[in-house]
Amino acid sequence: TRPGVHPLPPGTHLLFSQSGRIEHIPLEGYDMIKDSAKAVLHLPEKVVIGVAYDCLEKMVYWTEITSPSISKANIQGGAPVAVIRSDLESPEGIVASLDGSHRRVIIDSGLVNPRAIVTDPPNGNLYWSDWNREAPKIETSYMDGSNRRVLVKDDLTLPNALTYDSQSSLLCWADAGTHKMECMHPGRGDRRVIMEGIQYPFGITTYGKNIYYTDWRRDAVIEVDRYAGRESDEFQPQKRTKIYGIATAYAQCPSGQNYCAVN
Amino acid sequence: DATQGTSGDCKPCPCPAGATCAVVPKTREVVCTNCPTGTTGKRCELCDDGFFGDPLGQSGPVRACRACKCSDNIDPNAVGNCNRETGECLKCIYNTAGFFCDRCKEGFYGNALAANPADKCKPCSCSPFGTVGRQTSCSQVTGQCQCLPNVSERDCSACQPGFFNLQSGDGCERCNCNPIGSTN
Repeated sequence: TRPGVHPLPPGTHLLFSQSGRIEHIPLEGYDMIKDSAKAVLHLPEKVVIGVAYDCLEKMVYWTEITSPSISKANIQGGAPVAVIRSDLESPEGIVASLDGSHRRVIIDSGLVNPRAIVTDPPNGNLYWSDWNREAPKIETSYMDGSNRRVLVKDDLTLPNALTYDSQSSLLCWADAGTHKMECMHPGRGDRRVIMEGIQYPFGITTYGKNIYYTDWRRDAVIEVDRYAGRESDEFQPQKRTKIYGIATAYAQCPSGQNYCAVN
Repeated sequence: DATQGTSGDCKPCPCPAGATCAVVPKTREVVCTNCPTGTTGKRCELCDDGFFGDPLGQSGPVRACRACKCSDNIDPNAVGNCNRETGECLKCIYNTAGFFCDRCKEGFYGNALAANPADKCKPCSCSPFGTVGRQTSCSQVTGQCQCLPNVSERDCSACQPGFFNLQSGDGCERCNCNPIGSTN
């Protein structure tokens, strides 16, 4: 017998992983409805790290490190399905959507501690962070791995969290070493600090005017108003333990054609 | 199930002190939802990531969850640093290895427990010409590579005095100099 998803009510939600489960916080406008936060999926034996949401298929994807694997489940009440179970050691970051039968290696060199990975499907771009303490970096390539370039390498320490907002074309990250949250338009290189003095970010996601990140010191999901550059709310689950990945489950999919849909 | 109308409808959660529980729809399985700090699992029988132990004593005496013990040779920014039950270290850094990251990994030597990372484990760098079978590993402690006949130095990179031709790959040969015409 396998656990299944508690179906999500309509609307936009935040999904985040905390020890053996994936939880959701409903959003009303851009505000977290904290009283309605609940587990979506119990995976009590697992350590779930990365979470991603595929808006078109309404699937939540996650990575798990105890028996390293990548799985998915339909958010409207499905059972978990393993997508990839072999040849993984410590899968951490994840971005939807995947099909295990279409697995292929995109980048296989120059990676030390890769953590976050995000895509910009309309433009066919891939972004990832590597918290290698000797040379932390944020890199980009096309979605087939070609045209690989380092986007950011200065003033980085532990770039754990990375997200791309297709609406504003902004790439944003949070660093557990510099304790800063920053954003830039990848094409323009106009890097800008959104917030300083944050504690220990691990995951990050955006929705409209807000950026939400998970924090290992505060064991919380923190809401930041990206224009005001300050914290506007915090959700701390009853269970005090590390919160890992976070993703936005959109009610309406962001528009834009998927670059991969044509090939 | 509170709708049956009997006194046994609601049962206490099968969870440690005060933890709440929930019934998973479909499977009717009961899972604890608010395990004591540091513990997790269906019955709070597991330790959180970064900790190890056997909080319910399922495979022996009770061992409270403790932080991974890896000789300061793990990175706190990593996940899955040790096995949650046995404590076996899974992500040793600074070229260390072993259950507690307490020795140097293959091909490295030194003191894995040295305070300064730079003093921990150094590469063996055995000379491929002077080392038996072109081995890349060396003595964990002294760093001595296994040298071919008449080859010297820790890394087997030189011939002993009176010998030459390290490049042969079969050890060094005696010089065979004529004692009358040689200086020493």
